[in-house]
Formats: sequence, structure tokens, C-alpha cells
Amino acid sequence: MSDAAATLAQDRQKLEMSALSAPAVIFTVAMIAFPVVYTVWLGFQNFSSTGKQSFAGLANYSKLVSDYEFWHGLWVTIALYVLSLVLQLVFGVWLALVLFHAKRLPGIVRSLFISPFMMPPVVAGMMWLVILDPSLGAANYVLQTFGLPPSDWLASPTWVIPTVALIDSWQWTPYVALIVLGGLQSLPPSVYEAAQIDGASPFKTFQRITLPLLLPTIVTAAILRSVDLLRFFDIIYITTQGGPGNASNTLNIYGFRVGFEFFNIGYASALMLTLTAIVFGAVLAFNRLRGAVAW
Amino acid sequence: MTDAANTDRWIRWLNLVQLVLAGIIIMAPTVWMVLSSFKPSFEVTAYPPALIFTPTLENYVELTRTTPFLSYALNSLIVTVGSTALGLLFGIPAAFAVSWTRISWPAILTLAARMAPGTLFLLPWYVMFRQVGMIGSYTALILSHAVITLPIVIWVLLPSFDGIPRSVFEAAQVDGCSVTRILWRIALPLVASGVAVSAILAFVFSWNYFLFALVLSNGDTKTLIAAAFNFIGEGSTQWGALMAAATLIALPPLVLAALVQRWLVSGLTLGAVKG
Repeated sequence: MSDAAATLAQDRQKLEMSALSAPAVIFTVAMIAFPVVYTVWLGFQNFSSTGKQSFAGLANYSKLVSDYEFWHGLWVTIALYVLSLVLQLVFGVWLALVLFHAKRLPGIVRSLFISPFMMPPVVAGMMWLVILDPSLGAANYVLQTFGLPPSDWLASPTWVIPTVALIDSWQWTPYVALIVLGGLQSLPPSVYEAAQIDGASPFKTFQRITLPLLLPTIVTAAILRSVDLLRFFDIIYITTQGGPGNASNTLNIYGFRVGFEFFNIGYASALMLTLTAIVFGAVLAFNRLRGAVAW
Repeated sequence: MTDAANTDRWIRWLNLVQLVLAGIIIMAPTVWMVLSSFKPSFEVTAYPPALIFTPTLENYVELTRTTPFLSYALNSLIVTVGSTALGLLFGIPAAFAVSWTRISWPAILTLAARMAPGTLFLLPWYVMFRQVGMIGSYTALILSHAVITLPIVIWVLLPSFDGIPRSVFEAAQVDGCSVTRILWRIALPLVASGVAVSAILAFVFSWNYFLFALVLSNGDTKTLIAAAFNFIGEGSTQWGALMAAATLIALPPLVLAALVQRWLVSGLTLGAVKG
């Protein structure tokens, strides 16, 4: 084949490849890239209560700085995020170790363990709403059986955040566990054999060998959960709508309500862009951390 | 028996106890939901909660009688199947091209939807769909849900395509096969199981998605998940019907997930972990 013909064939192949990814790229630009640019523009607009639109400059952003609800929402978002992430990572690693030592996992057991995060978060919210009912719920009955005081759970401004974190952790801890289990199964068995010969205790082996080797996998799980936890929406919207009062009003819930209940599209856009920046910031930070713990 | 063997047995017992404990915590709420859905109305709210009761279907009958549950279910099915099909249609060729050329930005671009909060897209969509009168249309719902399904299809299929030896393609190329032909005739049959897993995962996450339908649907096109809110509003005294609704909504994703549980983990992490 001559050089010219080879180049022609290569060009043709390149063109065909572009044609293959074109639908996905065009769709994504139309549905995501363009709308996000549009949101940036909306963030500089003011929408009056009559629906009239006018240029507002940075007014939406200066409003955000002085908006008590924004700072409160940021605090709720971060509190819920940290609490849920810690719960899910700690119990996820524990559950992964338990599953790992069980060796043989029948398919039915595995199906059982993935069932919480395969069901819609909305359904999880519905069922926990009934279980956690302050006066007739099964949860308080269990507490009282063990001689513990009942709780108002989702109806208590103090306990609503831990309760929501608990519901989300019930749903997603098995997911973290399965990721960590994957990491455990890919560890070279030779490191354990060496530790066994050295007579290291199981706890020491875990602390000195397993945990450091698992860190990259744990950070990966943390990234995947961070993305979801920072934009927490479904369970809260179904159970409390941000209440009682504004006790569980995360930034995502607040932005949604500003946009679709008060129809202040401009301010909602500014709120959502800020939240998006926070999510991307967290992902970047964790990515760096993953680089630091890689082996 | 030696000390070591004794310790070993003891550790295995301890592990089993922990496994059972975890299983109970994971299963109990779901079991409670299903049990409550079969309780007669006076026993659902009984306190202390009743564990033994005569099961009845009255909650399910009540649900279909008092709410348009079946038409919501049909809406969910239309939106989910439509968005899954669209995700496969766009995602399969894109995943193939990314795997072949190693040019990964198209795949990474679609991931943006996985990271940003849904409301970020929903605000401009709402403004745009309203301008063209598409709020409440199946088209708007299917397009918005395809934003969820497309990255799932691409990222689940990428490792499958990567797993095909290059020589297979090169041989076909020498025979004069076009790239498109190679994809449909040679590559696709080789990754059929990957396509099945990606389709099921896309279906599950599209079915489960709440936010978009909450705003973009109307009374006629409301999906089950978006309608869940109505069941709660009406059901504060009707826990039985509420739990019947929750059970039925959760059933399709749970059944599908059980079918492919073995291959789910690597798919769920979008390739971040090789499970």
C-alpha cells in the first residue's frame, strides 16, 4: 500500500470513529454543556415575581454571601456529608472484612447485600418514615424493649441530620463494603503469608498491612460517595422536605425550592453553581489524596 | 485439639455472628416494609407493632382503587425503557470508539452528569422545555433520564471492549471491514453480556431517579417515583397502602439486580474498581 493510500485509510478510520462517538458527544453537549453555560448566564439574571427577567450582574452572588439560609444550608450539607461518609467508610470496611473472611458467598447472600442500594432512595425514605414514626414506629418499640428512651427521629430538629445520615448509611454501606471487598480480593496473598510467618496478630496485620494497602480503594469509595452525599436530595425531600423548620435544608434542597417553589431561577442558578463547585473541589481533593496513598 | 485450631474455630464463629448481625440490619427494614404491606389496616398502626397477623391483599387493592397506580407504573416503564434504549443507542458506539482510539474525553464528558447536582441541569432545562411547551412530555422525561443512562452504558462497556484482543479487529480491517461493520458484526456479539449488564444498570438507575420527573412531568406523565410523594401525602393514616406502593416500586430494580448481582460491582463503580 502506498503512503498516500495508507494516510487516506487512516483518515477514513478517524472519520468513522468520530461518527461513532458523535451522537453521545452531541447529546451531552446539548443536554449538559449548553445548559450549564445557560445556568451561568441565568445566575446573572434577576427574575421578578411576575416572571420579568433583567440583568442583575453579581447581585445573586452578593445576595448569597449575606443569605443566612445559604450558610445554614452549607452547614447542614457539610454536617450530613461528614457524618454519613465516616459512618459508611467505617462500617463499610468492617462489613468488607466480614464478607472477605466468609470466603464463599452464595448469590442469594450477595443479592441480599446489594438490595438496599438497588432500591430507589425514595422507597428507602418511605419505609424509614414508617419505621421511625415517633409514636407508632417499630424503631422506638425496639429502643424501649432494650430500655432505651424513644426518639423523635426525623421530627426532631436536633436528631434529623443524624437520622438522615443513618438512613443513607443503611442504604449505601453495603455498596462501600462491596468496593472495599473488591480491593481486598485483589491484594497479593503473599503479604499475609509473610505476616503470618512473622507471627503478627490479626489486629496488627490489619493495621500495618491490610489498611495501608486498602487505602487507595477506600479513597475511591469516598470519592464515589462524596459526589452523591454533597448533593443529598431524595431521602430528605421525601421524608422532611428540609424540616422540621429548616433543620435538614441542604444546599441542594434549598436551591431546588428557591428555583421551583419560589421560581427565583437566577438565585437558584447561583446556588447550584456554588454547590457544583464544592462537589468538584471535593473530588479534586480526594483525587490528590488517592495519588498520595497509591502504592 | 491444638490451641491454634481452637482459636481458628473461635474466629470463624465470631465472623459468622457478625455476618448474621449485618444481614439482619440490612434486611430488617425491607422485610418490615413488605410485612406491613400485607397487614390489615387496623394492625399496620398497632402498637406494640404486630409480628403475627393474617395477611391480606386489601392494601394493594386499596392502592389501585384510590390512586392511578397502574398508569404511573406505565409512565415509569415508558420513561425508563426509552432512556435505556437511548443510552444504549448513543453509548455503545461511543464506548467502542473510546476503547479503540484511546481518546477518552467523550467518556469523561458524559461523567459530568454523574458529578454535578441534578438541579444544575434542571433549572435551564425547565426554562428551555417550558419555552417549547415540552414540560410534561415523555420526550423531555426520556431525554433527561438519558443523561443518567448514557454514562452508565459507556463506563460499563469500556472494560468489555478493552478486553477484546486488538488482533481481532486488525484482521477484520485487513479483510476490508468498515469500522461500523466491525462494531456491529464482530465486537458487539463479543461483549453481549456487558451490554446486558449495562442495560440492566441503566434501567435500574433510570427507574430509581427522582428529581427530574418531579419537575418535568405533569399529572398525565408522572412516574411512580415522582408520584411517591402523593402516596405519602394521602397515606399518613394509610401506612398499609404506602408500604404496598413502596414494595411495588422497589420490586423491578430488586429483581433485575438479583439477576446480574455477580457482575454488578465493577459496573456500579463505573470502572473505578475491577471487581
